[in-house]
This record gives sequence, C-alpha cells and structure tokens, in this order.
Amino acid sequence: MSRRLIRLLLVLLTLSVALIGGVAIGETSIEPSVVLQVLANKLWGAGYVLDPIDEGIVWNYRLTRALVAAACGAGLATCGVILQSLLRNPLADPYLLGISAGASTGAVMVALLGVGAGAISLSVGAFAGAVIAFVLVILLARVSGSASGTGQIILAGIAGSQLFNALTAFLITRSASSEQARGIMFWLLGNLGGVRWPSVWLAVPVAVLGLVVCLWHRRALDAFTFGADSAASLGIPVRRVQILLIGCAALVTAVMVSIVGSIGFVGLVIPHAARLLLGTGHARLLPASALGGAVFLIAADVLSRTLIKGQVIPVGVITALVGAPVFALILVGRRSAR
Amino acid sequence: MLLPRIATLLTALSLCALAQAAPTAYPLTVENCGSSLTFQHAPARTVTIGQAGTEMLYALGLGDKVVGTSLWFNDVLGTYKAQNDRIERLADNEPSFEAVIAKRPELVAVELEWMVGPQGAVGTREQFHELKIPTYLLPSDCEAKDNLVGSDGTRLAPFRIDSIYKSVSQLAAIFDVQARGEQLNEQLKASLAQSIATAKKQQRKDVSALVWFSSAEMDIEPFVAGHKGVPDFMLSTLGVRNVVESDEEWPTVGWETIAKANPTFLVIARMDRRRFPADDYQKKLAFLRSDPVTRNMDAVKHNRIIILDAMAMQGSLRTFDGLEQLASAINGYDLSQ
Amino acid sequence: MNTVLSCAGVGFKVRGAELLNDVSLDVQRGETLGIVGPNGSGKSTLLKLLAGLREPSAGHVQLGGQALGKMSRRTIAQTLAVVEQQADTDDGIRVFDAVALGRTPWLSALQPWSPADDAIVEQALVDVDAVHLRNRLWRSLSGGERQRVHIARALAQRPQILLLDEPANHLDIQHQLSILQVVRALPVTTLIALHDLNQALKCDRLAVLERGRLVALGEPLHVLTPERLQTTFGVRAHYLTDPFDGAPILRFLA
Repeated sequence: MSRRLIRLLLVLLTLSVALIGGVAIGETSIEPSVVLQVLANKLWGAGYVLDPIDEGIVWNYRLTRALVAAACGAGLATCGVILQSLLRNPLADPYLLGISAGASTGAVMVALLGVGAGAISLSVGAFAGAVIAFVLVILLARVSGSASGTGQIILAGIAGSQLFNALTAFLITRSASSEQARGIMFWLLGNLGGVRWPSVWLAVPVAVLGLVVCLWHRRALDAFTFGADSAASLGIPVRRVQILLIGCAALVTAVMVSIVGSIGFVGLVIPHAARLLLGTGHARLLPASALGGAVFLIAADVLSRTLIKGQVIPVGVITALVGAPVFALILVGRRSAR
Repeated sequence: MLLPRIATLLTALSLCALAQAAPTAYPLTVENCGSSLTFQHAPARTVTIGQAGTEMLYALGLGDKVVGTSLWFNDVLGTYKAQNDRIERLADNEPSFEAVIAKRPELVAVELEWMVGPQGAVGTREQFHELKIPTYLLPSDCEAKDNLVGSDGTRLAPFRIDSIYKSVSQLAAIFDVQARGEQLNEQLKASLAQSIATAKKQQRKDVSALVWFSSAEMDIEPFVAGHKGVPDFMLSTLGVRNVVESDEEWPTVGWETIAKANPTFLVIARMDRRRFPADDYQKKLAFLRSDPVTRNMDAVKHNRIIILDAMAMQGSLRTFDGLEQLASAINGYDLSQ
Repeated sequence: MNTVLSCAGVGFKVRGAELLNDVSLDVQRGETLGIVGPNGSGKSTLLKLLAGLREPSAGHVQLGGQALGKMSRRTIAQTLAVVEQQADTDDGIRVFDAVALGRTPWLSALQPWSPADDAIVEQALVDVDAVHLRNRLWRSLSGGERQRVHIARALAQRPQILLLDEPANHLDIQHQLSILQVVRALPVTTLIALHDLNQALKCDRLAVLERGRLVALGEPLHVLTPERLQTTFGVRAHYLTDPFDGAPILRFLA
C-alpha cells in the first residue's frame, strides 16, 4: 500500500513541478519570486503588494493555460491509450474517429460562413462538428461492419476524416481574405491562447472523469490484449465496453478539441512512450500516459510562446515537430526490443 | 472632415498646378510592380479589386470610368455613396476571373497583389495581360514587399507614404487627369503636414501604441500591426512608438506581451465584416475592459482607446483621415498620468 | 443431469452462406469430445457458438441447463474457457502477465489480485511446461510456445469446460503429444477440434462435421469407419493394430 502512496505522491509532485514551470516561464519574463508571491496571494491571501498586470498574467493567463494544457494532454493521451487497446491498432489516436476533422469543419463553418450569425463561438461549432462527424463515422462502421468490427471503425474513421478535412479545405479556399483564413488556421493548429478560468472548469473535470472511467475498466482493457473474442471469453461484455469507452473517448476528445483546437500527436505518441517504458497493464499505463500527456502539453505550450520572441506559434505545430521525431525514436526502440 | 477645408485654402496652389499640369502623351508606358503597361488612350472602362483603388478613382473624379467594383472592407466614403450605388458591385470579396472580364475592362486596378499575383486569387496578371487587359497594382502593396512570404506578405522595407502619391500620379497620368492628380496629392500632403503638427503639440515624450485589428477568437492572441506596415508608418510619422517588434504585417502577439509592454494608448479597428466576434469594435472594447489583465493596462484604465476604420490601416486615401484622427486624439490626451 | 453443455438445432449464417445447419449436441460431464471434419466443415464456428462468442441464427445453446444467450459473460467465463486457433498481439506483454489474464473473470474491485491467483498462474505454467518462459516477452516466443501460453491462460481460468480450436496446430511433435495428454488428463470437460485423426482416436467421443452438418456422433472407432472416412474425408483408410500396445491406428492411402 505504501508503494502505491509513494507512486501517487511522485505523480502529484511531477505534475506540480510541470504546472509551476508552465506558470513561471512565458512570453515575457516575470521574476520567479513574483510568480510565487502571486500564487501565495491567490491561494491563501498572503497580501503581497504586486503589479496588477503581473498578477493578472500569472493567475488568469498562465495558470489557466497550464491547467488546461495539463487536462488536455492527459485527456488526449488517455483517449489514445484506450483507442489503441480497443481497436488493436498502434496507429489509433483520438483523431482517428474523425473527431478532429469534424471539429475543424464545425469551427470553420462558424468562422468563415458565419453559421450561427455570431451567436455561436468557434468552440461550440467545433464541438457540434466533432459529435456529428463521430456519429457519421460510427454509422458508416456499423453499416459496413461485421461482428466485432474494429477494422471497420478504423476505415470508417479514415473515410470520415478525409471527408471533413476536404470540406474544411474547401471552405477555407472560398474564404475572403488571407487574414480570415489565417485566423481560422491559427485556431485549427491548436491554440491555448484564448483559455481562461471557465475553460479550466470544463477541461479539468472532463479529463479527470475520463481517466476515472478508463481506470475503472482497466482489467477489461487488459483483457483485449489478444482481441475482442479473447476478451469475451475472459468474461468481458465486449459490446458494452466498446461502446462505453469509445464513446467516452469521443466525448473527451470533442471537448478538448473544442477548447483548444486540433493538437495532434499527443494521443498517438504518449501512449507508445508509456508502453515502451512500462510495458503493458492498464493500471499503470493509464495514469502514466495521462501524466506524460499533461507534462508534454505544458512544455509544448511554453515552447510555443518562447521559441520566437514576441510571437506565438500554434501549439499543434510544436507537438507535431516534437512528436514526429519522438515517434520515430519509439518505433526504432520497439524494433530493437525484439 | 478636414479635406474640403484644406482644399479651399489651397485653391491658389491648385490653380498654379492646373496651369502647369501637362496632358498625357499617348501611347503611355507605365512601369508597375514588375510589369510594363502600355495605354493607347485613357481607359473608358475600369474594374477595381480593392476598396483603396476604388476610392482613389472616385477622388480623382473618375467615377464615370468605373464599371465594376469588388473587395470591400468598409462602407464607401459618404461623399461617394450616390456615385457608387450606380456602379455594379461584382463581389464583396474577391470576384471570379470571368466576372471581371465580362465587364470588358480596359484597366483593372488592384489593391492587393495576392489577388493577381503568381497565386492570384482572381487570376494571374499574365492571364489578364493575355487578354490585353492591363492590371495596375497599387505600389503600396508591391514595393519592397514580398507577398509570397508570410500570410499577408512581408515588408522588406518600411511602408512609404510616397507610394500613395505615386498611385495617385500614375492613375492620373493613365486617365489623363494630371491636374486633378496633382491637386489631390497637394491636399494629401497638406493633410499629412497638419497631422504631424497637431501631434507635435503633445508634451510627453516616449508615447507608445498598439494597433489591434481583430482576433480569431475573443480571448485568443490578437492580430496586431507589425513594423514596416501602414499602421506602423502612421504611428511613427506622428512620433509614436509601436510596441510590436515583429516585421510581419499582421503578426499574432500574446496579450501577456502586450500588457507588459503597456502602450500609452490603443488603436482598435472598426469594420463592417462580422466573421470573428472580435471584428466588432464594441466587443473589443468590452474585452479590454473586462479581461483581468488588460483592464489594468494604462491605456484601458485611462480610456485612451482610439477607434479607427479598418480602411485607414491599409494603404489608401483614408490613411490620411486616419492620421488626422490619430493626431487630434493624441493631442487631446493628458498624458501626465 | 450429466450434460454440461448442449446445443439444439443450431444454425449459423454469414451473408447468406450457411456455415452450420441443424446441429444438436450434448456434452457429458468429464468427457473429452473431439470435433473433426474437413476444412470448412464448421468446426471453428461450432466452437464459437458453444462458447457464446457468436449468436446462432437458429436453435439455442445451453450451458448447465441454462440458456447461454441469457447469461452474463462473466458467469460464462467462470465456467467455460476458450483457446482460439490464432490470437496474437503486438503488445510487449510478458508470458506471466498473458497467463494472468486468465484470472480476469474471477477478479473484481472486492476481489483483487492475491497470492492465490499467483499460485494458479504458476500451476498453469507448469501444466503446459512453460515455466521457463514466464519472463519472456510474447514477441520473442515461437508459434508453438505461444500456443502453450494460450492454453495456460485458459487453464488459469480454472474452467469446468475447456474448448480448444485445433490447439496442436503449430506445435512440434513432442509438444503436440504432451499437450493432448495434459488436456485429456485434466478433470474438466473438454471439447477439442482436431485435424489429426489418429489423435482424435484417443477422445472419448467424436463428432464429425461435414459441410456444416453433424453427420456422426459417438465413440471414435464406431464413428471413424473406413466408409465415413471415404465419404466425409475423401480418403481411403483402414485400421491397423499396434503390436506394441494393441492400440488401433489409422493408415491412410493415397
């Protein structure tokens, strides 16, 4: 029991360090002592006299961004784990099910076509698009499907993604000005800039809930190691578990994408890295991937703000630039482990 | 508006200009942004792509030579409204190639190079020139600017107001209204001088500013004016420092950086487009006043926020109106706080 | 009631093709029932239906007198274990953990992993002679070793009924014989689909499938007559007696 406690404390410690790092480092330099004083003021009313702009930046911009980055990274990584396990495909990631593509189309329709006449924000449009795309993909999978059609879902997801990506591209090329198109591209590539406290109250509970639901089913996920039939023969209600967990993954991903746009590679790379380091066993894989995803995205966000002075790079670009070589390394690592 | 007042003051000068203005000698060859355009006579039918070119032609009294307009960012200037209503608007945004040539123009006046550049949104200049339709690009968008780099192009050298005078002169020459062209340029130069003088009355040194165009989402990093572009020119002409250091025309800069830079005043864009919530300047104001960080900026606390037409931020005649507006606003602030 | 698993009139259709037609079978407690038949006769399908992995298009399956379709998967898994013909994974799972999966139907939030479970897994490894493999990665095993680990996993489930789909396919001769010996020695009811007809002779009873129909059911020597071998399997064969121990052997002629 004490070993578990130690591991839990280590996890919390790592997360705290990452969060504090995300708060202390940013576009402009704020003294670490000032950062700590702000936290002290806000958390237990320490009463330091500070520049209200500094206080606002640390508490309302950086802290919220770090928390959402952590929640988002954890959520996407968790979704990646369960999709890879349930669909038995190492390339499965949250965007496989057409969710990200649908979210992009939804956001673009709001931004470029003015759907909703300014009453709907990009986020709501993205969420609606994500859900619609997911439903279409599932329908396509069922219509073409067989008994435990994991192959069908993947193919349907690819088809759905292609369709919605094409729609998005079409809408963008039809748009008026380069500035308008650029605005939506900036969002599409993933951006934590618009994050404030309301986003935190949405992202964190969703991520935690998703992780808890998946952890509850850790043994069921382990049972899928040798396929769906194998899981069934081990006593897992396969249909029910697939629907619940894939639906959960879709929902968590849709929420995250609607808050921060399309951030790729996290759901793909982090689970593989976790597997490489920890082997199998979802009891350890899930929390490890969640933690890895959280830290990774906090770091990526910090990088996106500090790489070029005075300018912000979309976070999705950073995760892809870092994620692609990391993925290559992981593949090599797997090869040499044989 | 200042323009009519200055015009009456300078009637004498105009008369002299009229006397000295020489009529255009055809065939006229104009070097324009890497193309050589030849005119046998003044074009009788013009299509414009870009509000700046449209209003420049109206200002030169050439409204009757315009048969089609497109690419609008704001409502047309009040004085030209009646005239403009009679002219067909081909598109609010970029028109199709066929729509343009269907009007059988003898000239296409283009405000932004990316409309007719190598990846032309409407068509390439070669396509037009093959049909013997010359395309005139406003020099302010092609001189010392690489429009293939960066989403809105990247300026290699700071924007120079001379490019506007050049546009006026060249268009005047093409249409054989040299006198009106020189008169217009005199008016513009006078307006500029007046604005600079007004701004100089402001006592404080080291006045800084930020120009905010719009944002993809309300809270997200805004598109702000970078160095070398038109808004930056406006600021530096009036002795104001742009807090943004990027060379891109419209970079995205985080609110954190802006808040820490704490500019003396803010300039926000007013436009008719409603693609992003932040297009509405009211929403921009609401954001600045409610966001926990920006509401602590000096400019927001002391309400030093200037609202400027989006058209003024692009190289056009309205730039001069914008300069006047900025100058009187700067002069009006008590910056001792 | 000695019937532990039975099916009555089951049929199975996939996209119009009828894989099984009107098969009825009663499996007796403790027996080793072999299922034989040429390729495509429906052996795997029948096993899947009996295990509850597929739903029959016609007829019904009963486990211990209860309708299989109405039972929860967990309850079924505590009684019945399946060794598939091929089940593979790309995961880097260790042999011990792969066998430990067999304890899944017995674990819950209130009954987490305990030393008793460790002991059961160890025993299963011993039974299939795979103790020396316990820390190896799945990836590094040969086909035969993988099959033994699958069987160990089924054994770790401590089922009362074991269904095996051609378990000795990839094994070398030593392990073929030893596995079948282990399986027959277990005090569980066993249903085993087999290819090798000589091995089938050692079962208690045989069911012969031909093109989705059950054409014979009974003791091996009564069922695998030379006529049957000719009509169903399309081979000429006759019996020999091994002078060593008097056991009957089938000899096949081209």
